[in-house]
Amino acid sequence: MDDATYLLHRLGTSIIVLLGVSVVTYGLLFLTPGDPAEVILTQQLDRQPSAAEIESFRATHGMDDPIPVQYVNWVTDVLRGDLGTSYYSDTAVSTLIVDALPLTIELAVASLLVALAIAIPTGVLSAVHRGSAIDYASQLGALVGVSMPNFWLGYLLILVFALTLGFLPVAGAGSYGQLVLPAITLGTGMAAVLTRLIRSSMLEVLDEAYVDTARSKGLRKRIVLYKHALRNALVPVVTILGVQLGSLLNGAVVVEIVFQRPGLGMLLVDAVFERNYPVVQGITLVTAGIFVGTNVLVDLSYRYLDPRVELGGETA
Amino acid sequence: MQQPRKTASESTHSTPAFDTDDTTHTACTAESTTDLLTVEGLRVQFPSPDEPVRAVDGVSFGIADGEIVGLVGESGCGKSVTARSIIGLDPPEAAVRGSIELDGTDVTAASERQLRRLRGDTVSMVFQNSMETLNPVLDIGEQIAESTKVHDHPDSQRLLDYLHAPLFSSRADWHERREHAADLLDQVGIASPEERVDDYPHELSGGQIQRVAIALALASDPDLLIADEPTTAVDATTQAQLLDRFRHLNDTRGMALLLITHDLSVVAELCDRVVVMYAGQVVETGPAGRVLRDPSHPYTRALLDCLPQRVDRNERLPTIEGAVPDPTDDRSGCPFAPRCERATDDCRHGDVPTIDLGDGRGTATCYDVDDSRPAAPYNRPGITVTAASDESDPTREPTPAAETPAAETPSSESTARSSTREKTRPESTADGDREPLVELEGVTKQYATANGLIDRLFGATATRRAVADVDLEIRAGETLGLVGETGCGKTTLAELVTGLETPTAGEIRFGGDPVGGVESRSAETLADVGVVFQNPRSSLNPRLTVEQLVAEPLRSRGWSTDRRRERVRTVLDRVGLSEHRARSYPHELSGGQVQRVAIARAITPDPTLVVLDEPVSALDVSIQARILNLLSKLQAEFGLTYLLISHDLAVVEHVVDRVAVMSRGELVEIGPVDRGFDQPTHPYTKTLLASIPSLSPEETAGVRPSASDGVSSSLDRPTR
Repeated sequence: MDDATYLLHRLGTSIIVLLGVSVVTYGLLFLTPGDPAEVILTQQLDRQPSAAEIESFRATHGMDDPIPVQYVNWVTDVLRGDLGTSYYSDTAVSTLIVDALPLTIELAVASLLVALAIAIPTGVLSAVHRGSAIDYASQLGALVGVSMPNFWLGYLLILVFALTLGFLPVAGAGSYGQLVLPAITLGTGMAAVLTRLIRSSMLEVLDEAYVDTARSKGLRKRIVLYKHALRNALVPVVTILGVQLGSLLNGAVVVEIVFQRPGLGMLLVDAVFERNYPVVQGITLVTAGIFVGTNVLVDLSYRYLDPRVELGGETA
Repeated sequence: MQQPRKTASESTHSTPAFDTDDTTHTACTAESTTDLLTVEGLRVQFPSPDEPVRAVDGVSFGIADGEIVGLVGESGCGKSVTARSIIGLDPPEAAVRGSIELDGTDVTAASERQLRRLRGDTVSMVFQNSMETLNPVLDIGEQIAESTKVHDHPDSQRLLDYLHAPLFSSRADWHERREHAADLLDQVGIASPEERVDDYPHELSGGQIQRVAIALALASDPDLLIADEPTTAVDATTQAQLLDRFRHLNDTRGMALLLITHDLSVVAELCDRVVVMYAGQVVETGPAGRVLRDPSHPYTRALLDCLPQRVDRNERLPTIEGAVPDPTDDRSGCPFAPRCERATDDCRHGDVPTIDLGDGRGTATCYDVDDSRPAAPYNRPGITVTAASDESDPTREPTPAAETPAAETPSSESTARSSTREKTRPESTADGDREPLVELEGVTKQYATANGLIDRLFGATATRRAVADVDLEIRAGETLGLVGETGCGKTTLAELVTGLETPTAGEIRFGGDPVGGVESRSAETLADVGVVFQNPRSSLNPRLTVEQLVAEPLRSRGWSTDRRRERVRTVLDRVGLSEHRARSYPHELSGGQVQRVAIARAITPDPTLVVLDEPVSALDVSIQARILNLLSKLQAEFGLTYLLISHDLAVVEHVVDRVAVMSRGELVEIGPVDRGFDQPTHPYTKTLLASIPSLSPEETAGVRPSASDGVSSSLDRPTR
């Protein structure tokens, strides 16, 4: 299968996935108890709204139609590039997302870098020194890293580095300094998973005959490990990276609240509490789109990592 | 350029093959002078839960500059571990003692830096299973370029440079090295090397991979090349070209070669000197000609006797009774003593002296070296070491095959066979014109090479003909050999006969009735064909016991438990497995035993035809002899018809009645084994035969096809 055919194929399946996601979230939102019109008006007016006020709110936001009709209308709008309008501020949902997204992407990329910077050397070292103190220490570290909740680590870091030592700002967004603690908070959990994965993948690769060949050439150990072995070991790791993106976005919600970063996560949480359904749906759709797109990229990257891979599933 | 090859019977009986003088091996006698490599008292032990495993137990030998030395022995004798120790690649948990002096440096005590210099400059190694020795994610050019870079700058290797990081690495330098890599590929006989440089290992054929592995080893211009079973996985013509290449490299570069092999004919072909190992110890050394012609140690003698080349066709092969000693046992005396019929009490205790045979004839670690024994060719077709009792077979008498044309031999025997059979068989007539059991008419098998639904939807109909228009008869009671290169379609043809594949065109008939694939075959027809698959270990379900495995074909035919058990007991007895093995799992058995289970499973439903796909290719010489004997015994006993697929022509020549030669899916030649091997008519058969290394180096000198030979090199084509 060539690249164009493959991408076309993946595009087709991606659209089906996104449609599925939108149906499910739409359905779930309308199953949640409470009338959104009443909740929203109560907050806006700061009093119990009258029946007439609720009636008019429902009419202007198209809430009188049956749910399937509302869904179809929404999808039609989305296809035209219109994600709807926030119930509160009359701002377009797309504008809200475009404002918040860069902060979240920045956080995700920084956390990924932190995770890889920790996981690659630690994973390789513990594979090379299997059964040694280094190995056990790294495994223990990984266990702690996996078990530690993000919000707890976040507050702990704030307490130590921002409040006690004063090295870094407590919260907010905009400067690189403000990115450090959130990235570490989010990156460590991911690093823990990746370390164990790289370790086991490397252990497998180190037994391969081509590692012996590389050593028998007279190559330095470091080159044997990081050029010959690691590249082979990374193939399964990249697969997991694609899947881990989901938990990264999950984690971003918590971390953004802890560090008061006005990113996508924070926007989502606010919207959920406010029953701001157009915003919730828009964010869900965009997030799902990012997830699907990243996984296509992951699949494409296999071919650069492993020339034996043929797109479309068949290996030579 | 080809000469008719001698038959096995001729070469065993005729002495000239072995008694030419040693003039071609004079270089080897300079054992004591300026050695490139000196191994002294090498011991390598691996920790295990109980006793440590003594993989190498006191090995000493040397290699002089430019010498070709063969390190010979059966699997597990420690030859590969010795080789890895020489290049300093023992696993960290191994305990290495003794000294390995390589170009003035002791490898066992060398620092990481010294080792890097030795590996980058003095010694290179071609590992076993070359398919797995090349890095799958780096292209060929890159892997060779690295080697040349290490060779030039062993002490300044920067990771970022080797990762081609911009600013840290010179693109021009790497580019130049890739061009040099193409030169190296050209030198090992790879066609259009400039294009191959950009290929990844999976894009090359097995023969090409082996050549690349050699090019990789040569990139550092070593003084010593260690090659571990370099030709085991390749077919006969490629093997001949590779051996030729080694000889050429030795001539032109003066490069010494340590060739590790279990194949004595390769040793005869190439080596100046040979070191024979058994159970981690060196039992004999000496000039290759002398050792092969006049072996001094009983083990070397027994090993040579097992070779099918040296025994008359249809005669049972001598075997070595007993098993290799447990490497964890505390040893004293000669390791071969328990299996040696000439062993005395002296052999079983204390150190056995290594005796210099004098006149540069090498050494033997044995009391029983008779100096007065004349250096006559070792020429006893009989059994040196006692035959294994479970193999003894009164029903089959050795036929004087040397005098009798092979076409007649089986028919005269088949009368005796029919008496031992309860089931009715097609009657054989005395004149050898027997009824065909299986007939193939115009059988063709095509595979679609276009992958994926979309390709097929758009009508891409690329196909490959694995088997093309084959007409073939398998006669009742005969052994038909099917030979040819890797990928010539012989396994596909066997799958068509067994019904695992259905032909695209043509017809297959059993006893005159057309049959289809396994789904459409009757239980009767299915039971009539037994299969022994290539690589028995992976063809047996690891979670079933031997009894379950052997009884499986009967279960599907609805036999009762008691009847099944009875049958399994009989069959296991017939294949020489003791009853207590019935409860074992495949991983608890040795290679030879697993092959016996596979054979037992094939013959359990009492078939007429047994398809044997490379039944002995994975086995050591002595085990191979036992299995071949077992197969002839079973054939005589049950009146079986064999379709034997093999790339080992010596094996084929020994056991088959008729031979069919396949090339690129077509049947190019078929005939009695005598005619096929002695007067080949098709040029491909000639090439194939000419490429078999003979045990006597003088016999084939100048007859082998060279790498530049058009016929043979065109066969070495990529798999895709």
